Formats: sequence, structure tokens, C-alpha cells
Amino acid sequence: MLDDFLRANLASWDEAVGLHVDSDLYDVAGFKAGGTSLSEIELGELGPLVGERTSLLHLQCHFGLDTLSWARQGAIVTGVDFSGEGIKTARALAAEVGLSRRATFVQSDVESLPDKLSGSFDVVFTSWGALIWLGDLERWAAVIDHFLKPGGTVYIAEFHPYAFLLADDATPDSLRIGYPYFQYGVPQRFDEDGDYADPDATTQHTVTFEWLHGFGEIIDPLLSRGLRLDFLHELPYTVPGLPFKFLEKDDRGMLRVKGHHEDFPLTFTLKMTKEDR
Amino acid sequence: MSHDAQTGGGPVDPIPPEARTANLELWNHWTKVHEKSAFYDVEGFKAGTTSLWPLELEELGLYVREGTTLLHLQCHFGLDTLSWARLGAEVVGLDLSDEAIALARRLADEVGLSGRAEFICADLYAADAHLGERRFDVVFVSWGAIEWLPDLERWAGIIARHLEPGGTFYMAEIHPFGYALDEVPGEHDVQVKYRLQPAPDTPEVEPIEGSYADRDADTTGLVAYGWQHSLAEVTGALIGAGLRIEHLHEFPTSPAPSWDWMVKDEDRWWWLPAPDGGLRKDLPLSYSVRATRPWTEGG
Repeated sequence: MLDDFLRANLASWDEAVGLHVDSDLYDVAGFKAGGTSLSEIELGELGPLVGERTSLLHLQCHFGLDTLSWARQGAIVTGVDFSGEGIKTARALAAEVGLSRRATFVQSDVESLPDKLSGSFDVVFTSWGALIWLGDLERWAAVIDHFLKPGGTVYIAEFHPYAFLLADDATPDSLRIGYPYFQYGVPQRFDEDGDYADPDATTQHTVTFEWLHGFGEIIDPLLSRGLRLDFLHELPYTVPGLPFKFLEKDDRGMLRVKGHHEDFPLTFTLKMTKEDR
Repeated sequence: MSHDAQTGGGPVDPIPPEARTANLELWNHWTKVHEKSAFYDVEGFKAGTTSLWPLELEELGLYVREGTTLLHLQCHFGLDTLSWARLGAEVVGLDLSDEAIALARRLADEVGLSGRAEFICADLYAADAHLGERRFDVVFVSWGAIEWLPDLERWAGIIARHLEPGGTFYMAEIHPFGYALDEVPGEHDVQVKYRLQPAPDTPEVEPIEGSYADRDADTTGLVAYGWQHSLAEVTGALIGAGLRIEHLHEFPTSPAPSWDWMVKDEDRWWWLPAPDGGLRKDLPLSYSVRATRPWTEGG
């Protein structure tokens, strides 16, 4: 069954790459002109740990914009994505901006990565809408642990579990709940035309399977592997890309819940360390 | 770290005086209500049953054995404290309510646990002045405790200072998401009503209608001052105090009903009902955290 979920999601993501490369949201032209695709959130929290020659593994890297942005900060990066289209585009971008020597891209789903990649890393990074594509976070945590050097850091910047559970028609006065916090490994099936980066697009591969995860489900597998939690942060805003009607942009371009700009968390970040002992 | 600054004559109590007065009056009143409530089942406890939840026994029980020293912060009238004592622990319970502490001491006498149970009447933020340099193998906090506290950094500092190196902190609490819910008017359903991000400077001030343990109790005129906390805030406070988080578990169950249409199971847990007549397992209503004080600083 999992393979069927993966196959449907892969078809959707392969198709999305072309749309995203041309989208305003991803702003590939801005990246090529020297801009970073990373937000102030991960730059502020992880940036100080990424210096010249830091080895960084980016899980679920899509077509590599963030991976390459870390490379521009000096890191030696490896980006991994299950989409062949994503990896092909990432390699082409790396070549075009002259970062091929410090950027490697590997086509693999997260679970299979230990079969396809060797080595270990100072930093494992994952961000923004990655975890909903994973059904089994125990396996994910094992992969992170496997690739972290002793003393290494895993950093996650993600949409908050609460960000996904409001009903589509939630309003500032009625924040009704439409989706689960706990999903117990059973995916939700969506069949939706369009794309989060281009809502007007017509897409062929419209069916996806997604898993929402609570904090315990995300953090506990990493804790039980002995990683030390350094921080868990919750922020009442997030990066653009969530297509929900109850969100609006603030004057800095971050998304917030309408009528609840300060009191409804939309982002969580966490940093954990694999202790050297 | 300057421990001295935290003890007597130290910084201003973070609880505003009007909040302290109101909450003390409420807890003194609730103590009398709760002593007679089916929810607390004091008679059952006297007859030998434990007031602890299977969850706490499973997650913390492993760390409590004969002679384990245990500090129970915000212990109410001590049923859980004494239940740990029955399992062999040498316990200290601390609570702001003089009525609750008096009842706890009476109960300890009555069930023959006075020799291993001590109760301190004190505000949480005054704990250092009463505990001095004492350290415990276990610090325990449970169910509806931290909502009465505006400042979790100071709370966590107290926990860390009174834990032995290698000692265990454990808390089982109402989930921030559960606290933020209210019923959809006219429906047996919930929506997000209250803030989910903490606001240490603006307590929720709510008139009290009954008690979580007895909905029909007369509580006319009583008011509660409470503070919303997030998981980031709780874990951040503990980490900031030097503790290491060992687990974070979340559950779709609550120890008490927030609305009279919630459903109680045979293990005493309360659930939100599902539209199909079953139980809703999709929303977090409680959580537990276990943390340790490392043997060495930063280790």
C-alpha cells in the first residue's frame, strides 16, 4: 500500500517541479541573481551553525533551491528528493550558478537513503511541508540518526501541526476544526486540481496521500534515539505557500491567521544534537 | 547561577496580588468540595486504591521505588503525593492552599503515611525558601498545575534546583490545544476559541462555575486567574533550566470533562464524542514530559 501512496505522490511532485520552477513563489530568477531562497527563520536559527565547509544533508529537497542557498553560505551540501524531475532540475541549477562542486543531488525517498548514500554530516536539514509526505517517522528518525555525525545537528523548520487542522471555511470568529492532529499513520487522500505555488494551474496528477503528525510523533522518535532537544519553537507566522483561505500576509510577507496574528502558531522549528560520547 | 537571588527576599512574585488572592480563595473552597467528590474518591483512597492514573504509574512508576525521594509541586490535598508514598517513596507535597495542606496532613495521619509524607503550604514561587538545599530523586507535576503559573522559567528553575543529578522530572498535563478549545454553540463539537501562544502578562480571568470534579458545586463569586502555555514554552523552560527532555507524549484523552457531553471510559479518561457515536481520537487533550537532570552540567 505504501508503494501506491508513494507512487501517487511521486507523480504529483514530478509534475509540480515544472510549475514551481516558473512560479513567483519559488522565484528561481531571484535565486539565480544571487538571492537566497531561505527564510529569515532558518537563516536566523540554523545559519550560525552553517559555515565554510559545513557538511549539510537536506532531506526532501524538491529541486534544490534551499540546498543550493546553504551551499552559497559555504556549506558542502547533499540534497535528496524522491522526484527524478526535482533532482534533474537541481543539478542543472547547481551547474548554472556554479555550485556543482559543493552540491550533490541524490534521487531517493527518505527511507531508502542509507542504501544510496554513504557518509555522515554536520547538519541534517528539512523544511516547509516535508513531513506530511512521510507516513512513518520512526524510519525517518532512524535515517536522520544514521547520517548525523557525533556532535551533529538536525534542524527542522516546518508548518505547525495546528496549521493543518483548521477547517477550509474557518473564519476569525469561528476557528472550526476540519482535519486531525493525530492520524495514526493512516493517510488522508486528496484529489485537488491546481498547486500551492500556482493555484490556477491545471494538473494531471491530482491525487495525493498526506500524513499529519503531532509534536510527540515528530520529536519522540528522535529523543528515543538519544538525540538531545536543544529547542522547540512555535511562531504565530509562517512562510508563504500554504493555500488556506483563513490565512493572510502580514506587512513582512509572512502568513498569519486572519484575526489571530499573534495567538495561533503556524510554524515550529526544532534543533536537536547527536551528542558526541 | 545565583541561587541566593531566588530565595527569600528575592525577586517580585510573578503572580499579581489580585490573582494570588483569587486563586487561593478558589483552591481553599474547591478543597472542601473535592474532599467529598466522587471524582477524587477519598474513601476509595483510604481503603487502599491509588489516585494515580495508569499513565503516570507506567511512565514514572519505573523511577519510584522504596526510599525514592519525591517532590510533588502543586499537590492540592495530597492524594497523588500519598499514592506515591504508598509505593514506597519518601514524599514532600507543596501547595498554596492552607485548607488543602491541612487536609493532606490529616489524610496522611489517617492512612498511616505521616512518617514518609511531609506537606508544605507555600506558593510555588516561594518553594526555594521552604526547601532550602533539599534535592529529590523525582519531581512530579500533574493535571491542571501550570495554568496557575505565569512564569515557567522560574518554575523550571525550582524543579532543576531541587532535583538530584541524574534525577527525573515528570509531568502529565492538559494539552495547550485542549485548553484553547471551546464548544461550538449548540453542538457537541469543539473549535479553537482561546489563544495558543503564551501571554505571560495577560492572564485569562474567568468566573468559576462549579468544579472540574463536581459541576454542581456552588462557587458563586469565585474567579480564576490562569495562564496559557505552549509546548515550546514548557520544553524551553525545562531545557533552559538545564534539564534534558527524554520524552514528549500526547494523548486524545483528558482527566476531567470540559463539557458535560464528553464521554468517560472505563479507565476514567474523558473523550470528545465522534459524530458516529464513537470516540474522537484526532485531537490532543493531554501530554506528558519526562526529563532528567544531567549528571554533569551541559552533559
